[in-house]
Amino acid sequence: MQPELKKFVKSSVLCALALSIVVTIAAPLTSNAVDVDVTTAKSNETSTNNVLGGEPTRITWEMLIDDGEEVAGVHLVLPEGSSFTDDSSVRMTVLDGIDRLDNDISATIDKDELAIDISCPEPLTGGLRLRAEIYDTALPNVDGEVHLGGTYTLTDGRTADLPESPGIEVAKASVTQRIVNWLDKQPWVQAWDSVTILNLFFQPQLIVSSLPNVFHGWLLSLMLVAIGFPLAIPLGLLFAFMKIFRNRILHAIAAVYTGVIRGTPLFLQIYIAFFGLPLMGVNLNEYLLAILVLAFNSGAYLTEIFRAGIQSIPQGQTEAARSLGMTSIQTMFRVIIPQMVRRVIPTCTSEFILLYKDTSLLAAVGVMELMLYAKSFVATTGNMTPYIVAACFYLVVTLPLIRVVTHFENSLARADGNAPPSNDSKRKKRREAKRALKDQQASTMTSVEAAGAAAGGGAHG
Amino acid sequence: MAESMIRIEHLSKSFGKTEVLTDINLEVKKGEVIVVLGPSGSGKSTMLRCINLLEKPTGGHIYIEGEEITDPKTDVNKLREHVGMVFQQFNLFPHLDAKKNVMLAQRRVLKRSKEEAEENALRQLDRVGLLDRADFLPAQLSGGQKQRVAIARALAMDPHIMLFDEATSALDPELVRGVLDVMSELAEGGMTMVVVTHEMGFAREAADRAFFMEGGVFVEEGTPSELFDHPKSERTKDFLGNIK
Repeated sequence: MQPELKKFVKSSVLCALALSIVVTIAAPLTSNAVDVDVTTAKSNETSTNNVLGGEPTRITWEMLIDDGEEVAGVHLVLPEGSSFTDDSSVRMTVLDGIDRLDNDISATIDKDELAIDISCPEPLTGGLRLRAEIYDTALPNVDGEVHLGGTYTLTDGRTADLPESPGIEVAKASVTQRIVNWLDKQPWVQAWDSVTILNLFFQPQLIVSSLPNVFHGWLLSLMLVAIGFPLAIPLGLLFAFMKIFRNRILHAIAAVYTGVIRGTPLFLQIYIAFFGLPLMGVNLNEYLLAILVLAFNSGAYLTEIFRAGIQSIPQGQTEAARSLGMTSIQTMFRVIIPQMVRRVIPTCTSEFILLYKDTSLLAAVGVMELMLYAKSFVATTGNMTPYIVAACFYLVVTLPLIRVVTHFENSLARADGNAPPSNDSKRKKRREAKRALKDQQASTMTSVEAAGAAAGGGAHG
Repeated sequence: MAESMIRIEHLSKSFGKTEVLTDINLEVKKGEVIVVLGPSGSGKSTMLRCINLLEKPTGGHIYIEGEEITDPKTDVNKLREHVGMVFQQFNLFPHLDAKKNVMLAQRRVLKRSKEEAEENALRQLDRVGLLDRADFLPAQLSGGQKQRVAIARALAMDPHIMLFDEATSALDPELVRGVLDVMSELAEGGMTMVVVTHEMGFAREAADRAFFMEGGVFVEEGTPSELFDHPKSERTKDFLGNIK
């Protein structure tokens, strides 16, 4: 037993020795004289609690000095990519527990090294807390955690790296966020926002910040209608033919289609398509489904527009074409449809405008389009401005189109020979009259000059 | 004996219960010009439209150049190629200019090449005195010019028979002359024509035979001078008295 006990003691001693060696070697590395336990930055974005990179903020950093240690100075280094502004400043505080102590600590900003040199003429003893508040200083414009680093110097001259600080979560600031931040500081914006109605409906910051998303929604809405409407045209033509040709079954199918679609709200049709099809196990991409619903809806209205357009072409046109030996299909495509197209362009454009506006109904089933993007902004801010932005995006399309409709209607009426003279032609006439007057003046001048020259010539003779 | 171009036997036509034509018989020989007169609603236009099947006859038979067109097996489009028709309301295609109006059916029905159709179109427009209006849209033409383009359009198909359905009735009086001149020229050129008109002057000058129709039947027929100067029927007399 005894030799074994000896062996055990021996190995234990060896172990302890080894352990103590390891501890002594590691000691200078792990045991810090200070502890950095607070690093925060103040949120610098209006609508969220994010800390935006690249935007001035206030950084707070705190260090607790261990018992028995005396700190003489700190070299605090900001994360790479940070920047000081002309207004940057540092405020130093020394705390003993919750008591604030007077101090004569000096802190100087070193712009080139992105560092702050803190020196304490009166050493900071153990248990004290040193706080630095760095004003108007921007953290790097990145997404993720950043840390403050640097070194500290003890009164005995030893210098060591500061332990890693807790991270500050930084969000990368977009261009719009930077514009919003800039606007926030403008006096005229502050004055503007102090008026309730302006603030609630036309807040500049929200106009800017909602613009990119609402624009995105606008593109999606345009895409929906730009694909959906052209799909509705062949659909409308097909059903219009079915209604015109004297086949009872085809006519009945077309009548049911236009009757049901035009007799029920688009809203309801959207609900049925978006909730009914998945129940049947048909799962389509929501944008594809949205396009199909829009096309089917508009197709029914176009059917009636085309049918009316075709039937508005005088019977004599068909008779003339048929009397020349043209077949009914040739007559339809060479004589009737070309005339029909000109007649239905205004109504079709109106239908396009309606459909474009109706894409907003898709917001109800969560298709991300113009309306829903605006709505989500309103939901987070409680401000109506994004809706006004959305309204502008609708108008950008509809107003010019309404003008186009009027123009087409006028030119059609003119072709039929019963239109009031358009503004264009009035303006043209005025311009022509002006030019004629000018020409007349010019010609009288030249004739006067010519007379003078002739008189001069006469005198010479 | 000249070739029979149109032969109508016991033609009748009714719209629903209204009988418009009753037992019409008529034969038109090659090169003949027939004028049909009568009050409105007497069935003249309906008879004319039956000849190229714009109206389907209810009874009887019609033969064009010996071929029965009332036979359901007849190719209607083929028949119409050779029977030109001019309408009261011109019926020009408003989306095409004068030249293209004349070209369309040549291209699509006769399958002529574009060049051929265009050359012929210009020739026909020249024939009706409107070569300088070739590029005008119908809206830019006067009524008389429109009707002359419509005639050119029909002539471009090289028809064997021309039907005129009150071709001058919708025109202002001063524009009638130009259209009638074109029609007279056609008649002199030997075209077989059936003309529904109220123009007595034209009828006297160009027609070989004149018919007076009322209530869906031919009341009287004869040479224009017989019919106009010595009408036998009281109704013909009344009618002529009214339009003189």
